[in-house]
This record gives sequence, structure tokens and C-alpha cells, in this order.
Amino acid sequence: MSDILGMFQGLFSGFGIALTLTNLSFALLGALLGTVVGILPGLGPSATIALLLPLSFKIGSPVTSIIMMAGIFYGAMYGGSTTSILVNIPGEAASVVTCIDGYQMALKGRAGPALGVAAIGSFIAGTVGIIGLTFIAPPLAEFAIQFGPPEYFALTLLGLMMATLLAGTSILKGLIMVVLGLLLGAVGLDPISGEVRFTWGLLMLQEGVDFVTLAMGLFGIGEILYNLERELSAELVTNKVSHLWPTLNDWAESKWAIVRGSLIGFFIGILPGGGAVISSLVSYGIEKKVSKHPEEFGKGAIQGVAGPESANNSAASASFIPLLTLGIPGNAAIAMIFAALLIQGVQPGPFLISERPDVFWGVVASMYVGNAMLLILNLPLVGIWVQLLRVPYAILAPVIVLFCCIGVYSIRNTVFDIWVMGVFGVIGYLFRKVNLEPGPLILAFVMGPILERALRQALLISAGSPLIFFKRPIAGSLMGFLLLFLLIQIIVTLRKKWRVRSTLSGA
Amino acid sequence: MGSFRHPGVGFLPFGLCIVLILFSLALIVSRWKKGTSVPFWSRRTWLRPLLGVVLLGLYALVIETLGFPLTTLAFLLVWMGVIERIHWLKMISVSLGVTLVLYLIFGVFLEVPVPMGFFKG
Repeated sequence: MSDILGMFQGLFSGFGIALTLTNLSFALLGALLGTVVGILPGLGPSATIALLLPLSFKIGSPVTSIIMMAGIFYGAMYGGSTTSILVNIPGEAASVVTCIDGYQMALKGRAGPALGVAAIGSFIAGTVGIIGLTFIAPPLAEFAIQFGPPEYFALTLLGLMMATLLAGTSILKGLIMVVLGLLLGAVGLDPISGEVRFTWGLLMLQEGVDFVTLAMGLFGIGEILYNLERELSAELVTNKVSHLWPTLNDWAESKWAIVRGSLIGFFIGILPGGGAVISSLVSYGIEKKVSKHPEEFGKGAIQGVAGPESANNSAASASFIPLLTLGIPGNAAIAMIFAALLIQGVQPGPFLISERPDVFWGVVASMYVGNAMLLILNLPLVGIWVQLLRVPYAILAPVIVLFCCIGVYSIRNTVFDIWVMGVFGVIGYLFRKVNLEPGPLILAFVMGPILERALRQALLISAGSPLIFFKRPIAGSLMGFLLLFLLIQIIVTLRKKWRVRSTLSGA
Repeated sequence: MGSFRHPGVGFLPFGLCIVLILFSLALIVSRWKKGTSVPFWSRRTWLRPLLGVVLLGLYALVIETLGFPLTTLAFLLVWMGVIERIHWLKMISVSLGVTLVLYLIFGVFLEVPVPMGFFKG
């Protein structure tokens, strides 16, 4: 157990870093960008961070660029609710359930309180999440220092499995995406022997598939192409938003939803594969269950806005814990931040806090500041952001495509990368057409090299015996947990099938 | 490739390919059992994404010869004119404005060596 005093010292020095003018302005820039992409439907935080990855080459300091990217991620959690409430289209994936009751509240003329409680809930939950991050991350990292290759293999495998099983609708589809991601990650030089794999003789592929190109193609171009099929037009319920500050009655109804949302979000956010999207769904379900008037849900219950909007914010903060202490990203947006750290030459993992305390504490402190900025941006200024919804997609789409092209071009100054991005864009579009989530693919792509190196090193240590993954206490319990998790999943699926069959034969 | 005791370069990729084939077969079988088929594209929804891809390809094809400013302007004009069909005055003014802003961001502020084509020197 690392001492509490050290953590306060770290946090204090972190504020010293976060409060410099440069870092403050980049935190504000991140918060602004996050709010904007959160509000705009058809552009999520993952795609935006991918778009800005080439920029992080130029920013120079790792602290500054991660401060900005983190701001985009949690800022989007604030912005997303606005579109859900006013337009009935989720601004981003973690605000899908907010549409249900938020839009109903807006129809009844209660858009103001809905927006207000979403912003205040987000702020409280976001801060709870960061407090958890501040005090759980350092001891966890200290514990993880003793991990060797077998532990890392078990951990990444567990992370990948949970990511696919929790995130997707279809387990099989999720697993296919994971395998595809691992294969894509294998292109290029082999991490141990240095031999060349899967390059088809193309010199350009020897460095492997570039993460930025892949991410921009799958998330940026793929999403644009998919949206081109449909007409995205935003019709606002109301132009005037008033009474943002919730009444005492609203507050009494939503305060426990905010507390529950914060805790649910935090614990789901820590889990690999957890994160903002699932936590908001879980929170909505729980609010409906504990409510004394479940029949009000779907007709404008304020708890249905307060709970999920709180949960997605504390999950966003909590998902930095596995990234910064274990070096394992839990969702697509965090995978982008993982890549940004690597680009800057910072290795995320158990040694991050001790080797680069400036990065860890600087980013953590900036998140406290960023959440306060976002509360101000989203409460009094929400009217300004709503006007953004008037920018037609007809203008937005080509601009985003151009951003992707020049961004990808700027990394190596070759047109080849624009072609590769285009190919991944088409693939990303087809994935969306057949309901394949690109999230697990990008996670597997990032974790592939870690997984492979750990697997091969572990087998070298044990002279080929797979028992090494079960004999060591930590690796063994992780593998045991993984098997238990798989077993539960299989039983649940079988029971569902059995039930369907019995109802069919009964009818 | 190596053996299980001495895993080589192709060890993991080979294993993964086998797993991928098995999963894909399982998915095909499960789809086939359900037997419902929805048309992949309803009516002509494929047209706009296809135009988008073609434009992106053309952009990559000519950017080095024609240069960044001209290609970007043309890209915006064609995209808004052909795919979106917005009013011509708005189209031209937005295109010019966006090209200028993108040039300022990438060419001037971030110093990306964008190809300049005719505007060299």
C-alpha cells in the first residue's frame, strides 16, 4: 500500500503542471472539442481523438496532448446528452438511453431541468470518478509491477474477452472482430525475431499497419460513409431553454440516481471492456428497477436522465485506471489515448506513475479542472452549443474527410497512407452495414503485440508448458476468473435458448 | 512457424487464422439457420457512399500533381454539388472558406509539407 501522503504530494505537483497556461488552454480546447463532437451526431469521441492523433506529433509534450485528448473523451460525455434531450438522436453512443426520458421531458417543456440535471450529474459523477482514479491507481500500479509475461498474457486475454462479451450484441461477431484485429496487428516485423510477416512484399507495410491510418479509416471515414446513406437532419424540440437549475423537487428525485450512477459507472468503467456505453445502459435498468414509479420511465422520468448521464461520466474517468496502471485500454476511445502515449514515447503500464509522474499526475489534476470547465460550458452556455446542430451534415462530412486525408498524409508524407485509410474506410462502412462493432477490432489491434510477446515469452520461460499460466498465483487466478466468466456466459446463453424452445413447444 | 514448445513467427497468426475460419463458419451456419434475408441496400442507398469513396480515391490520385489548394477546393465543390446538392452560392462560399481555413491550419500553423502543385514558390 503506497502512502496517502505521497498521493497528495503527487496530486499537488500535478496541479502545478495542469495549471500552467499552456496546459489550461489545451484542457479548455479538449473540453470544447469534446462538447462539440458530443453534440454533433455522427461524430464520436473515438473518431475525434483519432483525427487529432497526427496533431499530437506537433504538440510535443506528452502531458499536454493527453490532457487535451482526455478532455475530448469526458467532454463528449457532457455534450452527448444535449442532442439526446433536444433532438431525440444520441449525440454519441453513451447517451443512447438518455433519449428515452430526456426527449420526453423536452416534449413536456422540461428541456431546461433535463439539461441541467444531466450537466450537474455529469460533474458530480465525473469528479467521483477522478477521486477514485487518484487514490486507486497508485496502489494498483504498485501491485502490477510484479506481473511477468504469464500474468500479462492472462490479463490481456481476460481484457479482450470481457471487451467482446460485454460490448457487443453478438458474442460470435465480437470474437471475429478480435481475431481480425490481432491479425492486423501482426502485419510487419515480428516483435521477437524481427522477421517480416504479411507484407506481400510491400515495403510500406513493413512498419506494420499504422494505428492512426487504421483508426481514421474505420472510425472516421467508415462513419461518414455510413451516415451518407441516411439523411441526418436535426429538428430541435425547442429553441429556448430555460430553468436550467433543477428545482428542489427535481433535485430530491434525482440525487440518489446521481449517486448510484456515479458508483455503477465507476465500477463498470474500471473493468476492461466496460466503459461509458454499457454503464449508462446498466444505470438506466437499475433506476427503473429501484424506482417506486417504474411506469413513469419512458414518459419523462428525471431519474432516467440523471442516472445514465452520471454513470457515463464516472465510467469515462474510471476507464483511465486500467490504461494508466496496467497499460491495458478498455474501450476504443481509451485505445486512441493509448496510441497517443506511445507516439509520444511514453509506455503506459505499471511503471508509468513512478517513471513519468508528470504525465500521470498532470493528466489527473487536469481532469478535475476540466470537469469544472465543462460544468460552466454546459450549464450557462448550452444555448450556444445547441446552435451547432444547425450546421448541416452536407458541410460537415466533406470537411471531416479532408481532415482525415491531410492528417494521415502528414504522418509520413505519402499518398499511400490515404489509400490505405480509404480501404479501411470502406471496410469500416461494410462492418457497420452488417452490425459488426469496430471497437473490439481496434482494442485487439492495440493489445495484439502485448498479447503475443507475453505468450511467446511465457512459453519460452516454461519451455513450452502451458501450465505456466495456471501455476503462478496471479496468472492462475486471472485465468480461473476468465474460465468462470466464459462458463457463466455459456450457461446464460444456453438457458436463454432452452427457454425460447420451451415457450415455443408450449405454445 | 515453430511448434507449441518453441513458438515461431507464424505461430500465433496461423492459430488465429484457424480460429477465424471456425468462427466465420459458425456465424454463417447460425445466419443460414435463421433464414431471414434483408436486402443489403434498400433502393439506391449505396449510391452516396460509393460517390464518397470515388471522390476520396480521386483526391488521393491527383493531390500530388494538382496540389493541395486546388484539389481541396475541387473536392469540396464536387462533394457538396454532386452528393449533397446544396445551393450554388452557399456551396462556392463554403468551399472557398473551408479550403482557406484548412490551408491555414495544416500548411501554415502545423507546417505540414502539403503538396502545393501550381502554387509552388
